[in-house]
Amino acid sequence: MSDNDTDRNRQPNASTDGNQPDTPQPNRKYIDDETPSPAIADPAETIAAVTEPTAAPAEHLSTSTESAGEIVDPDSGRTHPEGGDESSALTSAADPSGARADWYDDDVERHPALRVLRDLMPDAVIAAVRFRNETTLHVEPQALREVCILLQRDPRTSLTFLSDLTAVDMLRLREAPRFDVVVQLYSLRYRTRVRLKAGIEDGESVPSLVPIWNGANWLEREVYDMFGLQFEGHPNLKRILLADDWSEGHPLRKDYPLRGWSEYPVYNTERTVARVRTRWTGRAGTA
Amino acid sequence: MTTTRDPALVAADTGRDLDQGAFAETAYDFTEDPTTTGTLEIADERDLGSGSREMTLNMGPQHPSTHGVLRIVLKLDGEVITDCDPVIGYLHRGTEKLGENHRYVQMVPWTDRTDYVSAPQNNLGCVLAFEKLCGVEAPERAQYWRVIMAELSRIASHLVWLGTHALDIGALSMSLYCFREREIILDIFEAFCGARLTTNMMEMGGFSRPIPNGLIEQIRDFLKIFPDRQMEYQDLLQANPIWMARTKGNGIITPQAAVSYSLTGACLRASGINYDIRKAEPYLVYDQLDFEVPLGQSGDTYDRYLVRMEEMRQAIRLITQCVDRIDGDDRPLMAYESAYVIPPHKGTMTTAEDMQRHFIWVIKGFSPPKGEVYQAIEHSKGELGYYVVSDGSPMPYRFRIRSADFVNLSSLPHMATGAMLADIVAMIGTIDIILGSVDR
Repeated sequence: MSDNDTDRNRQPNASTDGNQPDTPQPNRKYIDDETPSPAIADPAETIAAVTEPTAAPAEHLSTSTESAGEIVDPDSGRTHPEGGDESSALTSAADPSGARADWYDDDVERHPALRVLRDLMPDAVIAAVRFRNETTLHVEPQALREVCILLQRDPRTSLTFLSDLTAVDMLRLREAPRFDVVVQLYSLRYRTRVRLKAGIEDGESVPSLVPIWNGANWLEREVYDMFGLQFEGHPNLKRILLADDWSEGHPLRKDYPLRGWSEYPVYNTERTVARVRTRWTGRAGTA
Repeated sequence: MTTTRDPALVAADTGRDLDQGAFAETAYDFTEDPTTTGTLEIADERDLGSGSREMTLNMGPQHPSTHGVLRIVLKLDGEVITDCDPVIGYLHRGTEKLGENHRYVQMVPWTDRTDYVSAPQNNLGCVLAFEKLCGVEAPERAQYWRVIMAELSRIASHLVWLGTHALDIGALSMSLYCFREREIILDIFEAFCGARLTTNMMEMGGFSRPIPNGLIEQIRDFLKIFPDRQMEYQDLLQANPIWMARTKGNGIITPQAAVSYSLTGACLRASGINYDIRKAEPYLVYDQLDFEVPLGQSGDTYDRYLVRMEEMRQAIRLITQCVDRIDGDDRPLMAYESAYVIPPHKGTMTTAEDMQRHFIWVIKGFSPPKGEVYQAIEHSKGELGYYVVSDGSPMPYRFRIRSADFVNLSSLPHMATGAMLADIVAMIGTIDIILGSVDR
């Protein structure tokens, strides 16, 4: 990134306040919505490679002695002197300094994933939250796949590893949207995590991540099984943990009772045989 | 290919002869192939004679080599697997739904039941997630004890893997030896917490009970005998040509495929990807301990075997360092200064205020702050992640268990398609699945 970007991100309020009233804020309420989303109205061009989803092997995956060398920023052509070497990123894992400092900065605007999204897909970000040294990015649900591809391919983030994919039923926490699809991404290069959340209503769907990661196949099937959410483009979206002919709905929804919808027989708990009172022999002399 | 350039120059540049005419001469003429242009009789004869009709075979859920209640629907062409569809869910108990209806402390024993051969590690991940949510940190001595118990449990889990994996491939005696050493570890667990299988030994904030006398000597005895026993396993297996032939080149996963399938643990590291959460995001005192992460090269079953064997050696190394550091240590084991941990036993039995506090803590539970955390630990199967969403009530709003073998098992069709039928037994064993953890 250029020097202008660095300066802007060090003073996020000074530069973003001017642009904020122009952009329409998404009409969505989140429980942790204290941090407003300063959407930057830069008409940034999205890279063409984002639109075609392929299973992309990253070039840094060779874990032999060869190092991946310097990272060349595609925007400015400048090289990052600190990143790139797998072994150095691993040894610096203990102290979050150097290349990893921005990932743990209290100012969430300095987070590399957020900066990449602000640069290239500014409309996709709804909010960014930090809690317990973890970063959560709320993104537009229809842009979820493009966001994942962008964060996977951009050398500033290199979030190449899908750690987890699940959902949360937000029925009792907010009005709308009802569900959150939660994607945990991990960067094998920087050894850091980021969490993406896409809020959808019941009946809506999110784009499937199977074109990017094969590991999303079963995870999305589990989300469909447990929550009834649809994933567009999933090759085999059917139940996985429950039986194929399970007709009782989706158990991890909040309106699903703990024992299910079915009527269960109430067993007779009354005693049919009279209880024999045994003599209390715990203390001497009372028998 | 541009037509304006001289074909000879193009060939000199690219090293290949791109002339269309030369290619057409050397190419195989498929129109002359009798098998593709054959008559109807020949096609029928081929179908019946060579057995190329597809056959569906149902393997499991009671098959002994599926390590539980895994069922696999196989499509076979002769002995070659053309399609593989694992069917899971026979052990699904709804642990995540139960997590939304239990208080935080009540959930820790449930995690024993997910991966029931390595219960202390499940407790550890769950407890670390709750501690991260509440902002509690266990004292250093308790963290060392947690590392000891987690690494002992890693060895116990790998011993079950090694015994059953070798048993599937045909080495019957291996399981007897592995379970013999596992008994020693279970005895240590029993001395430590009173239970052998579902231990429930980790608590929020450390350990509320004292360490029993003589436990360190018991662990030292195990550390003394285990490396020699492990050499016996290696002599039994690696000198066996059947073992080598059935594991080498079996179930190869490339590094790209391993990342794409989100594999973790030994399955990922055998493909050469250096991702161990103990090194990448150190969670207990792992950053103060000296150990190495073994990496494989070819990503086959034999490499996964080697990686897990080396992990057992590194676990012995870790336990030795921890035991040396905390021998004779009498620092506190519990972070009693936090309001989220159970009040001390002594005060509960003597003063009224502490008894009331203990009563409230047990009956009502504690209420963590609103928020969400994801805590991942390096389980013996891979990355075990707990994603907990709190709405400020005494029960988790969402309790998600990301079990490693559920995700690892999804790569079985990738490995098995195109392989022989007898090899799928080795592939199931090498993923190291426990169906209680897969189905949750």
